[in-house]
Amino acid sequence: MKIYPYKRLNRPVALRVTSVSLKLSDGTRDQLETTAYSTQQQSVALGIAGHIDWVSATIGLSATLPPGANAPDAAWSDLSVLAVLTDGETNVRTSADLTLDAEGGRDWSGSLEVLRDDHLGRASLAVYAVGTVDGVRGRSIAETDRSWIVDTVSDEPVRGLQLDVQTASFKRSSREWLQAYADAPWIVDASARVPTVFVNTDVEGVIGLLDSNGSGVDSKVRDLLVAQMATDVWTAVFHGAIGDLEVEPGGAPVFPTDWQGEVLREMLPDVFPGVHVEEALRQVHRRRTGESGWVELQTRIHYAAVRRADAAKALAYVIRSLEQMNRESET
Amino acid sequence: METGEEFGPWLARQLKLAGKTQAELADELQLTRAAVSAWITGRSTPRPTVMTDIAKALGTDVGTVHTRTTDTQAGLPVTWYHRPGYSDGGRDLGNAAAFAFDADVQVLARETCQNSLDERLTENGRPVRVRYTLHELTGEALDSFREAILWNDLFPHYSAVSEAAGNQKVGRVVDAGVRDMYEKGRLVLLRVDDYNASGLIGDDYADGKFAAVVRRQLESLKSGPGAGGSYGLGKATLWATSALGLVLINSTLSVPHEGRTERRVIGRLELPWREVDGEPYAGPAWFGRPDPDSPGAMVARSWWADEETVARLYLTRESDEPGTSFLIVGAHDVASLESRSDADDESGGVEDGDEDTRDIRKMHGRLVEALGRDFWAAMTGGGSRLPLLEVSVRAFQNGKEVVPEKQVDPSVEQPARTRALRAHYEGTTVDRLTEAGQVAARNVPLKLPLSGGAHGTLGTHQAVLLVTEAEGDRDGDGGKNQVHSLRGNRMTVKRAGVQRLPLGTNPFQAVLLVGEAVGETAPFAMEAEEFLRAAEPPEHDRWGQTEELTLRWSPSAYRRISALTAEVNNAVRELVARPKRTNREGGEAVRKALTVRTRPKAKAPAGPVVPVLDKLDATVGDDGEWRITAEVSIPRGDEIVPMVPVAQLDVRSGGRPKLEWAELVAVEGCEVEDETLRFTPGVRRAKFRGSTDVTSHPVRTTLTRLVLELRAGKGE
Repeated sequence: MKIYPYKRLNRPVALRVTSVSLKLSDGTRDQLETTAYSTQQQSVALGIAGHIDWVSATIGLSATLPPGANAPDAAWSDLSVLAVLTDGETNVRTSADLTLDAEGGRDWSGSLEVLRDDHLGRASLAVYAVGTVDGVRGRSIAETDRSWIVDTVSDEPVRGLQLDVQTASFKRSSREWLQAYADAPWIVDASARVPTVFVNTDVEGVIGLLDSNGSGVDSKVRDLLVAQMATDVWTAVFHGAIGDLEVEPGGAPVFPTDWQGEVLREMLPDVFPGVHVEEALRQVHRRRTGESGWVELQTRIHYAAVRRADAAKALAYVIRSLEQMNRESET
Repeated sequence: METGEEFGPWLARQLKLAGKTQAELADELQLTRAAVSAWITGRSTPRPTVMTDIAKALGTDVGTVHTRTTDTQAGLPVTWYHRPGYSDGGRDLGNAAAFAFDADVQVLARETCQNSLDERLTENGRPVRVRYTLHELTGEALDSFREAILWNDLFPHYSAVSEAAGNQKVGRVVDAGVRDMYEKGRLVLLRVDDYNASGLIGDDYADGKFAAVVRRQLESLKSGPGAGGSYGLGKATLWATSALGLVLINSTLSVPHEGRTERRVIGRLELPWREVDGEPYAGPAWFGRPDPDSPGAMVARSWWADEETVARLYLTRESDEPGTSFLIVGAHDVASLESRSDADDESGGVEDGDEDTRDIRKMHGRLVEALGRDFWAAMTGGGSRLPLLEVSVRAFQNGKEVVPEKQVDPSVEQPARTRALRAHYEGTTVDRLTEAGQVAARNVPLKLPLSGGAHGTLGTHQAVLLVTEAEGDRDGDGGKNQVHSLRGNRMTVKRAGVQRLPLGTNPFQAVLLVGEAVGETAPFAMEAEEFLRAAEPPEHDRWGQTEELTLRWSPSAYRRISALTAEVNNAVRELVARPKRTNREGGEAVRKALTVRTRPKAKAPAGPVVPVLDKLDATVGDDGEWRITAEVSIPRGDEIVPMVPVAQLDVRSGGRPKLEWAELVAVEGCEVEDETLRFTPGVRRAKFRGSTDVTSHPVRTTLTRLVLELRAGKGE
């Protein structure tokens, strides 16, 4: 629990994205449709228009402060509202001042410039209301409780991090390292910007099976295959994330801020149920670097991966449709 | 001063009302019959001295004879006329049309407002103004109102109905209505006024709007082909809303009748068959002046009341603008019980625990809600188009205003849809949505069939689809992602959600304008209007298969509407949803399985339970130390894990500096041992306090944020 040594507002700031436009390398602007962002998912996908050569994006914003922010007897003065874009991978922070829409109102609006070169992928966008409290300037009085995600690459405004899926012929791929795995149906690369799954097109029919969207036994088998792949991927990704932790001077691990953080935040509650994720991370780190307990932990990690992959459901469906098929062939 | 009617017709009617002949009057005035006849036919007018004599003969004052704005009180007084029982012994236990509706002020609002909209005077281009007034009467006010409606004459009829109440629904409702009035000593009047409407014009009995509303069932005499109503059912909601089955009417006519326009008054009562003093009565009764022309001078007809009478009946109209006032006596709102939970917010904290169907504040809220929902489009103007309708709602208690008059504002009730329609009128729509608050417009074709079952298409009407971003929580109606469809009367007919939208689609509201709503000059607007009106059921809440559609077009004509709906949904999806990507590598299923998303967390394993921090108070002490008081909640379990409280300073990135404890004291439910909390077995809550060691603070305390955590084990 966090405590501030001064008076603040309890309720969060509401943030909405109102427009998105891209500045292209030839100096022209492309005003994107509102489908480039999702207010429900609170995410912006700058890759949606398929431009490869954009230089910067302008995101129109509107923020509503909680009631009481402009109360005459408020403990703060010099109120200003800032939109802050934070990239955990590149450690870039960009901020923009918003302006009050109408005197006496609680709606502020403005726009934020996102330079493409500052970001690798996902950055999070929050709004802070800051003022002078007890003579100290720039104190945060209220902020958004859930940040928006601004993804400079994605072509779909969804909040969840999507791992990359690529298909390649492992034997003939220009990625030479894949040739070593020519007999594997798929392989996970956890060292890429986002973890990537390569599916080997040399295995005949695997793409057809994955792309199938019928409703027969095919689709059940496909779901089982996907579950199998996903289990592998989540296990690999978890190890990738845990093996790469930054460590504090005292030896405690720091929670990562990039995709690894997102993966850990989702999986740790299954690895160490019932404890805070930060506590869970410390325990995992202690077991991995310490004397004992790492081997025992593998079962928990495997369990977390199986749960994420929905393996139980996929298996049940396959078994049911096999039984059905057998019954039909008997009669 | 008001202009009275011509002397001749006026005198003729007074004589008729008084039951006198021209000869009798001539005798009384000691004049020739020819002289009286000459006045009546308008060939001459009486001398002023004779006027005084005429007034005396008619039992009234000279002023009335001069101004002739009201009838004299001579002759038969205003009374109740109950239709006698059928001679064949048949019994109607209630009005079937009223049966079709539950007592629901929202349905009432819809039906009455629609009628007013249909009866709007169109020549002056002004909107029709409708006002709903809720008035609760108690004590003296109630007594004098009852006197005004001759309650003592009605009471035997209500008693007779109550006695037979066990047998049928209408009787039970009436019985409950009368009992509520006596037990709680109150009566709720709901008045519906319209101004700038045609009023109840026409003869008392012959075809006309008056007879259609007051005398007949299931007759609709709407003013135009684009009218909203078409079944004549709407008026029944007036009686359905009255627990006493009683409605009083005062109308100002747009076309004079009997040379007059103002204060045409009549009341109508709907009761089931009953027997009073051995006489059977068929059901309905009318409150008016006995018509000397009717057999036995029994039938009550409308009369031209004076201002005092309409005031006593709570029927005073605010101006001489034409229109009608309906006063629903004993209004109740049974439907409000179902939606009680959402109406609670509006009742302003008046919660008496009793499920009251006669709470005027609640009814007020529900009226505003329904009017905003159904008529936002009619209330919206823009560009060269004026709104068709203005509506307000207010509430009184014994003449004192308790909820101030509130004009229903469409941009408050339905902000997104109103914005869409306004943008259409003002021509500010766009092709694609690129900014929040924009309105996108699309044409959607409606292929009209040939009438009479012939194959082929008469023509294609281009409906207009408007799509805009939904407005947060203020759009309280039926959720988001809806299409509201309107035709010429600009009343929402159909609301439907759009299916198969991708996850994360921005919430929107859509409006579909069809027929004359697009514009009277749009190709095939009139034909589309007619077609869709025929496809509307009595509830006016959808377009689909109806008998009329089958008869006038063909049994498959409704498919044209289904096709329109499909086109609309496609157009909406195209505007609000991203196009599906075609060549996604690896297939949708893999991609879905590899998205990091929040899932339900795994269950905590059995074994020792882990306490969690529940409440934290912290202040900065005099020496700059953090002083904390924390509460811990402990899950039920046999064994409780000892916890270590850890105080840290929050940072933006990197590791958090840890603070040392100067003091850590158990308050209840636990004990402190070597900076570790050990909990008493069986307790569910524990409390401790502590203060940090200032020497371990890296910066000034007032510039820090404290983070307190409970850690299991050693807490490093």
